[in-house]
Amino acid sequence: MNGRVVWAILKKDLWAFSRDRLWMTLTVIGIAFYVIVYWLLPDTVDESLKLGLHAPGLEDVLGTALAGAPEQGLAVTTFSTEEALASALEAGDGDLVAGLAIPEGFIADVRAGARPVVTLYVPGEAPAEVRDAIGGFASELAFAIAGTPPPADVPGLTEVVVGRDRAGDQVTLRESFRPIFVFFALMIEVFALAALVAGEISRRTVVALLVTPARLVDFLAAKTILGTLLAFAEAVLLMALLDVLGVGTGPLLVTLLLGSVLVTGIGLLAGSSGKDFLGIIFYAMAFVLPLAVPAFAVLFPGTAAAWVRMLPTYGLVNAIVGITTEGAGFGDIAGDLAALVVWCFVSLAIGLLVLRRKVATL
Amino acid sequence: MKTSNVLMLLRKDLRLGPRSPLLLYALVLPVLLTLLVRGVFGSLFDPQPRLGIVDLGGSELTVQAEALDGFDVVVLTDADALRRQVEDNDLDGGLVIPPGFDDAVRAGERPGLEFVVGGESLASNRILIAVTTLDLIRRVAGEEPPAEVRIVTIGDEGLAIETRLVPALVMLAVAIAGVMVSAASLIQEKEKRTLDALLVTPVSIFDVLAAKGAMGALLAVLTGVATLLLNGALGPAPIALTFAVLIGAVMMAEIGLLLGIWSKDQNTMFTAWKSGGILILFPAIFYVWPGLPAWIAKLGPTYYFLQPMFALSIEGASLGDVAPQLAVGLLICAALVPAVIAAGRWLEGARGSGAAAAPAVEVEAEELAEV
Repeated sequence: MNGRVVWAILKKDLWAFSRDRLWMTLTVIGIAFYVIVYWLLPDTVDESLKLGLHAPGLEDVLGTALAGAPEQGLAVTTFSTEEALASALEAGDGDLVAGLAIPEGFIADVRAGARPVVTLYVPGEAPAEVRDAIGGFASELAFAIAGTPPPADVPGLTEVVVGRDRAGDQVTLRESFRPIFVFFALMIEVFALAALVAGEISRRTVVALLVTPARLVDFLAAKTILGTLLAFAEAVLLMALLDVLGVGTGPLLVTLLLGSVLVTGIGLLAGSSGKDFLGIIFYAMAFVLPLAVPAFAVLFPGTAAAWVRMLPTYGLVNAIVGITTEGAGFGDIAGDLAALVVWCFVSLAIGLLVLRRKVATL
Repeated sequence: MKTSNVLMLLRKDLRLGPRSPLLLYALVLPVLLTLLVRGVFGSLFDPQPRLGIVDLGGSELTVQAEALDGFDVVVLTDADALRRQVEDNDLDGGLVIPPGFDDAVRAGERPGLEFVVGGESLASNRILIAVTTLDLIRRVAGEEPPAEVRIVTIGDEGLAIETRLVPALVMLAVAIAGVMVSAASLIQEKEKRTLDALLVTPVSIFDVLAAKGAMGALLAVLTGVATLLLNGALGPAPIALTFAVLIGAVMMAEIGLLLGIWSKDQNTMFTAWKSGGILILFPAIFYVWPGLPAWIAKLGPTYYFLQPMFALSIEGASLGDVAPQLAVGLLICAALVPAVIAAGRWLEGARGSGAAAAPAVEVEAEELAEV
């Protein structure tokens, strides 16, 4: 391999990329779009159930009963009249999910076994589970006042949490979307590299190149470096604009570099088809769509399915989540990085092999 | 413009169309998006509390829990697996019901019940699960609440996110097929210079434009109606609904023709679509978030087929109810016709002078062989 030749090809490709209006536009628009959407996404998780309450004469009882409620996710707003409560729900004030209007003399009626009527106001769009649970909450309040304990010994909510308790510190939508944005930033470069390589093949400039002192290995090395460089630069720029580069910088840069190598292999493979623009888009899409699954799986709670964990991008996504959300270090993401390294080798080997064979047939 | 020429060109495009990946994309996209929205994103926007139950004694509690509306209830057989799933946030909470639980509850023995919640579950879900569990146990015990709960519903029942996303799905299906297929088909003729060849025959540029537009519109109607069908949103007036989709399809095909005439190659077309597509698609956003000011949506031309489509399919409106909006949609379609004619004349003249001719194109090996 001749370093000077590789550098010359690389310079030529970088110049060609910078002159390609489509990919430059897509790169700029893509990054701008991801950054704007990222900063527009909520950076907090509202975990509380907001309940409106009109309960004349019950202030003391409820004050004691609901003392720990805010910490447990129940936010109660009191209203002086039932009409005010209903109006607030109708106007959507304070994001109330429901309102309870408890009549005067409730305690006396309950103790006398008179079955007073509690009115539960629910907005039309309230989910069924909220409607049922708030109704149950009203009944439970009545049971408590009547002095009837629960018929089973059920432990309190604070005693039964398993795993790390993230109440008040949930992963936000903004954090969940980071791997998706990184993935798409890398994917833009898959398309760009594929289009560049396909252009070389369809125009047969690679054949012209190979009658110069440049050898096939120089050509392949230049394309690999170009793809990795473009993808890595874009991913790092995006992470900087999302203000997460300061968190676990070392592990994050290594992860992004491996991710860039991974997508470079895919770009070379898609580009070696030598198809036209539309062909490249759809050919590359066949690889991109399954690889996008792990990035989207992060949005959903729980562990990913076994087949998702087998996908090449799972390690990339999991490592990014670990570093940026959990503050993971090299030790914590070693497994993900190891899997990513293996997939990088596989992807690059296949990409280079197919491209080499394609060039040889020209 | 000669109808026979248009039909001949349309037949040719329909015959060769399946070779185009874009056409395949336009046909497959509505199915893929519908699957994604209905299978994945519905649960993302409106997650339900997930409750796991290990029932060691055939309790009535399990039957009651499974019948709950709004909860995702899973029955497991192994208590350790339940705890593991709760810890991994595959479930929000879990119950392990011991043998003889129902009898003990009814006998007033206050039996113990293992109840766990996941650390990563939302506090609101924990409360919902805890309160609902207590309520269910009371039901099993046969205890009548000492107070009666009267439910008063305020306002209309909201639409599910899957329903609110239907206009966006239809919009994408109609736009991809109408705009992209029309534009790409025309651009390919320019790039391969087959347009020049056509123009030296008795075929006029308007025959070509009409055929390309008809193909895009036809495909857009097909994908638009198919999307509505897949989402179970054909509503009580499917013919009126198809008419609304047709107006949108024609509008999109006209925009596609303008894009195809203007773009010198497919790269330019995609760049323009990625940059300016939002100007066409944005009214669909207002159905996803109905709280946004609706007047902004009315600024988009596509609103005048999306709103009638939404009213007809989701709100059960009649053709008469949506006639004014459809009339505006038709007016927009009519107003675009002179623009397409003028652009067509420009293209015809420019092809003659070579000003709008596509740059030297990349001719593939197969094509060279054919030549």
